[in-house]
Amino acid sequence: MPISFDLTPEQRELQGLASKFAREEMAPRAAECDRTGRFPEEVYRKAWELGLMNLNVPVEYGGSGLPLLDQCLITEELASACGGMTTSILANCLALQPINLGGSPEQRERFLKPFCADYRLASFALTEPGGGSDAGALKTRAVREGDSYVLTGQKCFITNAPQASLYTVFATVDPEKKHAGITAFVVPRDTPGVSLGREEDKLGQRASSTATVTFERAKVPRENRLGEEGEGFKLAMATLDSTRTPIGALAVGIARAALDHASRYALQRTSFGVPIAQHQAIATKIGSMVQELEASRLLTWLSAWMVDQGKRATLESSVAKCFASDAAMRICDEAIQIFGGYGYMRDYPVEKLLRDAKLCQIYEGANEIQRLVISREYLRRFS
Amino acid sequence: MEAVVCIKPVPEADSRLRVAASGVTYDPEGVRYTLNSTYDEAALEEALRLKEAGAFEKVRVVSVGPPRAEEGLRYALAMGGDEGLLVETRPDDLLDPGFTAAVLAEAVRSLPHDLVLVGRRAGDDEAGVVGSALGEHLGIPSFAFVTGLTVSGGGSPLKVRRFTEAGEELLSVPPPVVISLLKGAQDPRTPTLPNILKARRKPLLREPWTEVLSRHPGAPVRAPAMRFELPPPRTGAHLVDYQSPAEAAEKLVKLLREEAKVL
Repeated sequence: MPISFDLTPEQRELQGLASKFAREEMAPRAAECDRTGRFPEEVYRKAWELGLMNLNVPVEYGGSGLPLLDQCLITEELASACGGMTTSILANCLALQPINLGGSPEQRERFLKPFCADYRLASFALTEPGGGSDAGALKTRAVREGDSYVLTGQKCFITNAPQASLYTVFATVDPEKKHAGITAFVVPRDTPGVSLGREEDKLGQRASSTATVTFERAKVPRENRLGEEGEGFKLAMATLDSTRTPIGALAVGIARAALDHASRYALQRTSFGVPIAQHQAIATKIGSMVQELEASRLLTWLSAWMVDQGKRATLESSVAKCFASDAAMRICDEAIQIFGGYGYMRDYPVEKLLRDAKLCQIYEGANEIQRLVISREYLRRFS
Repeated sequence: MEAVVCIKPVPEADSRLRVAASGVTYDPEGVRYTLNSTYDEAALEEALRLKEAGAFEKVRVVSVGPPRAEEGLRYALAMGGDEGLLVETRPDDLLDPGFTAAVLAEAVRSLPHDLVLVGRRAGDDEAGVVGSALGEHLGIPSFAFVTGLTVSGGGSPLKVRRFTEAGEELLSVPPPVVISLLKGAQDPRTPTLPNILKARRKPLLREPWTEVLSRHPGAPVRAPAMRFELPPPRTGAHLVDYQSPAEAAEKLVKLLREEAKVL
């Protein structure tokens, strides 16, 4: 298969749609939502209307079923305007992916279609207060009672939880069995026993919402179980495998915004009689930032391309997510340095980018875990 | 009834243009093209609304331009156009409005056209003459500065609202007619992602301009550009140093009176 880095006219059009939406709907609200922490529902509704949500839902259920590479192109554009809003827009893809991958045709019909027919939000609920990276040790219990399961436990840092109408929840039917006890369920928000904690006050990505969801004897019918008992851990990992690459693209979008701001500023700001871009100290910074940005984008494209070709991309997706998010932090950091004192001020756009980028190193598998995965995958080749 | 909307992709408003080596146009290298939302997109939006209200069965979009103009047509199909026709020129062909109108006329003549809609002018050369010239070539009435359009369909006359210096005119004109739209009643829609994907499967015909123009009686009137140059860089900005608004005002008045001599 020959390699081509030319985008198709269709991909350029999708990119154009996302870029226009980012410029016209997201960017003008980004600073305000960052300051106040407001959840801009009007932006998300409009994104849904334009088909920019649920990108991974297959066409037969009303989604657009886009290849992962196309999803990444869209994600980069959106994130260049606001990382937090992009996270909230992408959250449906993450939450619905377990249904996509592990649901029966009947479950896909029942749960996916409403999300494409109307504007609705869903949340992926895996992380618990006692364990993020150690997902196998989760404590939320699912006890079989007749034709139902009764869920008890707590999930934290759940994106879009306050506004979501559906949660995909991972709970254990037998804590003794560790990973092999974990089971996935689809839980409607209005199930008795489901309650929300207060909304978290975050460092960055403040336009997205994050909260704790508590299950107190929440009764879920057996028809809402995804796959068999004990298949939940695999499903969670398969889900994260396919949504990790767009996080790389999200980091690329934030980093690109930082580099663009810094480049414009360096050309316009003068010191010692010349634009600061002409000082080598600044020019070499920009030279390094460009390299890291280009490498990040290529790694996400490679990983997405492999997934689209049906190839195993565990290593590549971890490399893309980990490298791009670390690079985004360095690029945003240097962008602030180029802006000097102004960069530290909240009236200028770059400090927000640093705060937004930070989350990319943490969520959807912390970068420490990514490095373990990468080394394990690589070392396998020698054993 | 069926409508035709003529579109022209133009450089994005924030493009940085450079003079091409020929010296008579700009260098297309690195320029991104778009439909101009206040002109062509507005015309298409009007046609689509009329179609949705039942006035037309079909809305076709036509463009004269180099192969890259296909992207503009695809965008128009994603907005809701039914079929596209690209009259293809070579990338280095120079298009002046007289030539464009002559080629467009022959392209439009080959299609059902109870209504031909154009934007008031192109966003790049701002000529604003293609609509009227098109009417001349086709031998049908054309109306410019149109601000409102009502079409009941079935071949009944169109109600056309025009803006004139003396006020607004309301005319009743039988189809076919060319309308140059001053501004649309509604903001043009943004194509949704599913519609972008669907637009790829809509018919888009290509015809070389030589073939289309061969159907045109006589040689078209051409008005080629002789020279293309960028506006000179702005000079003469004078920044006033001041400590207080009162001092700024005082210095400004002094400058306006003594240097600019406008007071």
